[in-house]
Parts: sequence; structure tokens; C-alpha cells
Amino acid sequence: MIRIAFKILLHDTAKYLALVMGIAFATLLISQQAAIFHSVLLSSTREILDATDSDIWVMKPSVETLDQSDPMAELAVSRVRSVPGVAWAVPYYQAIAQMRTPDGRSKSVQVVGIDDSSMAAAPRTLLIGALRDLLQPDAVLIDAAGFRTIFPDAPLEPGMVVEIGQRRARIVGISLVGPSWTGLPRIHARRSLAVEMARETINPVSYVLAKARTDETAAMVARRISTITGLRALTRDEFAADTKNWILKYSGVAENFGITILMGVVIGVAIVGQTFYMFSVENLRQFAALKAIGVSNRRILNMIGAQALFVSLVGYSVGIGCASLFFALFSPQLTGGLRGMFMDPWIFGGSGVFIVMVTLLACFVSVRRVLTVDPALVFRS
Amino acid sequence: MVATVSSLDAGVCCADVRIEFPTAAGPLRVLKGVDFHAPAGSLTMLVGPSGCGKTTLISIIAGLLRGASGSVRVFDHDVSALSASELVMFRLKNVGFIFQQYNLLAGLSAAENAAVPLVAQGMSWPDATDRSHALLERLGMGPHAGKLPRQLSGGQQQRVAIARALVHEPRLLLCDEPTAALDGTAGRAVMELLKQLAVRPDRAAVVVTHDPRVYAYADLVVHMEDGLVSKTQDGASAAAAQHH
Repeated sequence: MIRIAFKILLHDTAKYLALVMGIAFATLLISQQAAIFHSVLLSSTREILDATDSDIWVMKPSVETLDQSDPMAELAVSRVRSVPGVAWAVPYYQAIAQMRTPDGRSKSVQVVGIDDSSMAAAPRTLLIGALRDLLQPDAVLIDAAGFRTIFPDAPLEPGMVVEIGQRRARIVGISLVGPSWTGLPRIHARRSLAVEMARETINPVSYVLAKARTDETAAMVARRISTITGLRALTRDEFAADTKNWILKYSGVAENFGITILMGVVIGVAIVGQTFYMFSVENLRQFAALKAIGVSNRRILNMIGAQALFVSLVGYSVGIGCASLFFALFSPQLTGGLRGMFMDPWIFGGSGVFIVMVTLLACFVSVRRVLTVDPALVFRS
Repeated sequence: MVATVSSLDAGVCCADVRIEFPTAAGPLRVLKGVDFHAPAGSLTMLVGPSGCGKTTLISIIAGLLRGASGSVRVFDHDVSALSASELVMFRLKNVGFIFQQYNLLAGLSAAENAAVPLVAQGMSWPDATDRSHALLERLGMGPHAGKLPRQLSGGQQQRVAIARALVHEPRLLLCDEPTAALDGTAGRAVMELLKQLAVRPDRAAVVVTHDPRVYAYADLVVHMEDGLVSKTQDGASAAAAQHH
């Protein structure tokens, strides 16, 4: 009977295509928006998660999210180092500064100052240059997207001399980092140079990055740092989660993406439900004939379920294929707001499960008429 | 000649069948105590004016309509005592339907349409279509077995419907106005096929019709009027009466 169900479904090409396209559109909208939302959320924590050499972030108690750092005095690093269980601790600095280009243009940049000696939390991938080049006087790294934004026509190569916060800076390397929450070009420098660029004189430490000794967990050591120093100490994952929660709570991105995803669901359900309803009504006599012949409601339900499953899988494949193509085209680009965005396997699979369930639900709601149709209808002309 | 309704051991036997439907104006009594017999090995026609209860009666006999009082037996099945799920199985195994509107599945070829009852019974697709194909050959539809319903004429579609009704060898064949949508020639051809294929000692065939031209194909003609059986004749007598 499943074969018969497929033949009934595929015979009505227009409705079959409408169903597939409706589901594909809903899948595209849901999976693409969910993936972008996830990538955007991840971008807010990328610096935290990328700093894998440390596992504890220490900050002032007032700090709620990565970009809201409240600078501390140099002494904070020593206080953290003095806590039992801390293997090592280094300062980390970040600030917004103004870059002046050789042709006189001014651009806001995010300056990240990494520990002069250990280079902890340095960018992991350099397209051009080497990390040791940062040891040269005035040396900075710039991310590739930022370079393209500031110097759209210049070749992607080091050597450019700029001013950052009225301090001379020479680009010695180009890093590959994902887009940050602020979207500003990212400049990495030794912290001693970074604080000069940001003209910070009193509090040159945004965060203290620490590593727990191997015989203790990061969470235990973080709690101890908090207790002893009065500073806020979180594990890397805890700080990333706090930052994400802050974004979700205050930025409005969850509502924006949520509405778009909801639209995808509503449009998908509406198109699929409506089309299946029309399909069911137009084939009511045929279903009544099947019931008269002796096909039970359960088997008809199985037939309709198979039809729904089939169209949902085909529609999902088309939709997820389009979404994957979208990311395949835009994600590898060095510049543009979509660089580095990707579809998490959970979104890939989860949207499939969701679409199949929504389609089955829409179909079963719309085929109630089929199940309740009087088989004696076949005797009426 | 008036046929007697005495044999209760075979075919279709209805005794004192009554049913009423609720309406805004109060209950509408559609069948008011019908006694009806369609013997095995015969083609019985159920005739009468519109609204007299013919379709209601065959719906009850087929187990499509429940809620009637009285007794309905189809061969050794007490239809009136079967549950809803038992009725589904009863129809699947024992009843073949031919409808006025054919009700063929638009996406299936003639052979596939005719195979539906076998597939519903659990037979494999190739075996079922092989069997339906063979039956369509007997009905002169072999060259059209691969065509979709919309590619067939009304008469050809009705032959496919006949194949679908007979392919699973049901004991009861119920036909609702099988010639109503056909011209005279096609209608006669369909009736000849029915007479030829449907009438067997172990099978009963009941045909609801308004078409007096086909009375001659009947063994029995049962007249209904206002929810009751008013007269039963043999086919020849009924046809002759029409000519006069």
C-alpha cells in the first residue's frame, strides 16, 4: 500500500512540488537562520574559547561579558599567581582604539594585548608572518578581514605602517580569526605596546588568564581565586556561557532570529498543511473507495504518513542542501560578515528531525477528513 | 412470476431491515422493514425510484453503513453482528465493488488499479499486478493495462473497475449504477461482462440500477418503493414488462 501511496502522491506533480518547495523553503529558513544565530553567538565567545592555553579567566566582579571588561591594576596578576593551585597567570588586555592609515583615514580597531613573554591567547592561525615577529619593536598583527576592510585595494602582505592611538605600529603578520561580536578589525600586539596604543596608564590589565595545576580542576581553582582575591574567576566554559547569556538577554538577537525561525516554521506548516489538506480533499473519493474496498483507517494513516515522510525528507534534502551551499560559498571567504559562519551538526540533524515532525503533524491534522470520511460516499454521484 | 425469498443458507439475506436518520424535521425512516434475498449464483437487480432506499440497503449489506436493525447475512457472515474492524476485513475478503463514478486511483495504471484489493490483502506487488493483468486480458483490456485512468474511455474505466471488483474473487459483488455513465453500447457490454464473470454458483451479485434496458441481464429484479420491497420478478419478466 505504501507504493500506492507514493504513486498517488507523485501523480499530482504540481502539489508534490508545492509540498517539496514549501518544506525546502522552511528548512532553508530554519537551518540557515539557526546556523547564523549559532555562529553569531559563538563569535561573542570566540576569543575566550580560542585561548585554550589558559583555562581560567579572572576579572573584576562588575564584568558580565567579554567586551565589557573593567581594567584592573597590574597587581591583580600577582594576586592571582599567589593563589594555591594556580600553575601560572598572565595579563590580557583589550580596548577599542583609533587607527590612522598612511593616507590619513581613521578607523576604530579592537586592540588585544597578549602577554609579552608567554604570548598566551595569541591568534592560532597566521596567514602571513610568525608569532615571534611580535617581539620586534612596534609590531602588530591584523586579522585578514580587518586588513581587507581598512585597505581594500592593498595586497594582503605585511609591512604597512600605521598609527594606533598616536603610537606607531608596523603590521608584521596577518591572522585568520573569526568575526568578533563588535565586528571591528582585530589588532594583536604585545600587551606593553597595546596599553600604549590605548593610552592606558593606570589599569593595564583587562583579564588575568590563569592555568590550574594538573592535580586540581579549573573550577576548584577558580572558586579559590574568587574567595582569596575577591575578583571574579570563571573557567573558560563558564565565562563563555555567561557571555552568551548576556548577549541573549540584552542584545535582542535571540528575538530577531527567533522570529525569523518561527516564520519559517509557520510558513512551512501553513504551506504543507494547506497543500496536504487540498490534496486530501481532492482525493477524498479515492480514499473513500479504498476504505470501501476494505483498507483500514490505520493503513490509510500509514499511507499518508509515508507520503508525509517522503516529501519531508525530499524537501529537507533540498533545503539543507541550499543552506549548506550558502555556507560553503560564504564561510571560507576572508572578508564579509558571513566569514567563518558554519552549520553545526546539531543544527543540520536537528532541523531535519524538526522538519519531519512538523510535516507529519501538519499532514495528520489536515487528513482528519480522510479518516472520518464515510466510505459510503462512493455510492453518491 | 414472483420469486420466493426462502433460502437463507446462501447469498444475501436481509430480514426486517430498518434504519432511520436524524434530520431537522425529525427522524427520517429510510428503510422500513426490508426483506431481501439475492441468491448465490444469480445476478439480482435492485430497482426503484430515487430515494427509495436502494443505495442505503447495499451500503448496509456491504457493511459500510451501521446502525440498522434487523438481520443481514452474507453467505455465512452475520454482517449486522460484526464490529467496525471486522467489517473492514469482511469487505476486503468478501466484497467487490463497482461504482457509478468508477473511483479509480488517478496515479495508478489500469493493472495497478485492478490490483489494489490484492495488494491490500497483502499480496506482493508483482504477483498482484500479474493477476490483475491476466483478468484485464479476459476483459479485453490487455492493451490498455498500462494506461492511466484519464487515458481511458468511460467504458474502459468501468472494465477496469470490474477487474478491481473481481480480482480477489469476492463472494459478493455490489454494483451501484454501473451503466449510468455509459452509452447504450458500452452499458450493454459492461452488463454482458458482469453476467459472464460475476455470476458463479458460489457468488452473489447485486446491481442497483435505474436503467430498465439492462433488466434482461438479471436473474431477479427486486423493486423497492418508499423503503420497502414492493415486488420481486425474474429478469425476463421485468424486461418484458418494461417493453409493454
